Amino acid sequence: MKKTITFFITLLSLASFSQQDSHISYGFESNSQYYLDDSKTGDFLESNRFRSNNFFKIDYYYKNFYVGLQAESYEPKAMLNYSPNLDKTNLGLYYVGYKTNKIAFTLGHFYEQFGSGLILRSWEDRQLGINNALRGGRVKFSPKEYLHFTSFYAKQRKGFAVSKGNIVGFNSDFDISSAFNFENSSFSAGFSYVGRTQERTETNFDYKNSTNLFSSRVEFSKDNFYSNLEYVAKGKDAVIIQNQIKNAKKGAALLANFGYAKKGLGINATFRRMENMNIYSDREANGNIYNESVVNYLPALTKQHDYLLTNIYVYQAQPQVSFQDPSLIKSGEIGGQLDLYYKIKKGTFLGGKYGTKIALNYSSWHGLKADYDFAGFDYETEFLGFGQKYFSDLSIEVRKKWSKQWNTIFYYVNQSYNKRYIEETFGEINANIFVSEATYKMGKGKSLRFEAQLLATNDDKKNWAGGTVEYNATSKLAVYINDIYNYGNDNVDQQIHYYNVGGSYTVGAHRFALNYGRQRGGLICIGGVCRNVPESTGISANITMSF
Amino acid sequence: MKKIVFLYLFSFSATCFSQKKIPNINVTTLKGKSVSIESQLSKDKVTVLVFWATWCVPCINELDAISDVYEDWQEETSVDLIAISTDDSRTQKRIKPMINGKGWEYQILLDKNQELKRALNITLIPHVVVLKGNEIVYRHTGFAPGAEDELYEMIKKHSK
Repeated sequence: MKKTITFFITLLSLASFSQQDSHISYGFESNSQYYLDDSKTGDFLESNRFRSNNFFKIDYYYKNFYVGLQAESYEPKAMLNYSPNLDKTNLGLYYVGYKTNKIAFTLGHFYEQFGSGLILRSWEDRQLGINNALRGGRVKFSPKEYLHFTSFYAKQRKGFAVSKGNIVGFNSDFDISSAFNFENSSFSAGFSYVGRTQERTETNFDYKNSTNLFSSRVEFSKDNFYSNLEYVAKGKDAVIIQNQIKNAKKGAALLANFGYAKKGLGINATFRRMENMNIYSDREANGNIYNESVVNYLPALTKQHDYLLTNIYVYQAQPQVSFQDPSLIKSGEIGGQLDLYYKIKKGTFLGGKYGTKIALNYSSWHGLKADYDFAGFDYETEFLGFGQKYFSDLSIEVRKKWSKQWNTIFYYVNQSYNKRYIEETFGEINANIFVSEATYKMGKGKSLRFEAQLLATNDDKKNWAGGTVEYNATSKLAVYINDIYNYGNDNVDQQIHYYNVGGSYTVGAHRFALNYGRQRGGLICIGGVCRNVPESTGISANITMSF
Repeated sequence: MKKIVFLYLFSFSATCFSQKKIPNINVTTLKGKSVSIESQLSKDKVTVLVFWATWCVPCINELDAISDVYEDWQEETSVDLIAISTDDSRTQKRIKPMINGKGWEYQILLDKNQELKRALNITLIPHVVVLKGNEIVYRHTGFAPGAEDELYEMIKKHSK
């Protein structure tokens, strides 16, 4: 391992010394935490109070060639609730490649996405502990500037190892309007194939070693209007319920999107239906809580909120088949969301001197309407039928600049969260959340920001209140303090303050941050993907550096 | 062993500070066309790349703040700002309505699966990259209200 690193680095440095057409980019990220005992939430009972996740990535470019690697270190242990496969220090990624505008080759690890990712996406999210990069060979070929092909054969990264299953992919994108010189509109189409091959287990259910997925999509835009449509068909694959194969079923996804945008106004509507759409590079990975071995990207299509109290009840997409008990069966989800952005002009009564910006979002998600056979682990869905409601969310944001010094944001959210179906536990929550934020600029990078939040509900843990004060002393140095307080909890012992204080210092592309506080347990969601984290108290340090 | 690694790192990083070309990575236009980032930069001129996402509040604050003064900047230095969205497919559909609703005048490019972001080893957004032609002359991460003035000083310095 160490020899490999030395070898790479020697290679890189030699190359960089000798050549003019070369350049290097590297980045370092370190996230560490020292966990403390807490008189309110309990002692730290795991091993290793100090834990640290570290990443070092380097890329070297010479003419059309590139080579790179990412070393990762989880020492003495990864932070709480990361996959046990992320352990100790090792090479996470390594790759070499050649790229021109016509053709590109990659050997080693690579990230890839076909279409919107419904059929295939590999990506990295260090905070969530996700890295499902593919390791193998990839060729990209663009014979014309309107025609692009990609194909690859790979295994998928899992911890520092790779999947048992093999993945083969083919993608084509055809920009029809460029090919035929359409003047006023744009029209493009795409087609993808993804196959996952893994030896099947001996069962009576009818599925093969290979599972095939096909995606077709079109995109059209004219003047201020735009739309796109994607359909994915997934071939028969084992349905795994609580680690046992209980059936073999097909899957499908349909995504439709329409939008209209002109200066000062934007509207977007999305509809999506997914049935049994999970696909993992290893079948056994089905439903794992670390998001490992995930081949495709099925995020919740809801607004990603920015405030602490708006992120307590976060929806997660429900593409999977689940048979918990006769009253809790799932086979997918159906629903949509609507976005509206509007700018009230400067100089009008509501617009004031600087204009007022309004953003509205509504999303609603349901289970599929289906005939379920609990004993036989089987179902028959209706194509456009809406079943049990899982989630809805309505939010309104008003941003207003009052003067050169004052900026405010008002934010209101109404949420309905069916915890029983989403988390497969119990309960249903209806909540109203109010947030107001004000920023006061004092010039020369000095500014003060206040946030007040309230979550009102009669369900679950009842009411919460929260606040933040952030002070930017210069454009480099910032300190903050925040607290959310579950003051409405029926259990007095559970009326806990989750407070945090911290600061950050930024120099150019480098940032150093320190934080002390108590973290609320539960789902931490980034980019529509969630990870369950335990309640914890401690001191954390984060360093990110880019060169 | 560690010392050797660091020595190596230090030595070749030093040699490379003078040569900082932007990697030849493809990004997507709002109309869905795949273009290389290099082809979007004009020679000898200063271009500012701002890596952002629809869900990133400081990014929006930064682009809103620059939007208020962008006309003046362009008049004085003829700088171009390209806002590179790192949104993934969860939030990509929000880009068009958002930039229109905001009334931003920037060129927008999409880094759909964060290839360019990764090639530049960017971990946090907002992240600003100032280029003279295709060479990187300045980078900055994070945004504090008022930091747009410092960015403008940097643009003016390299526009001469």
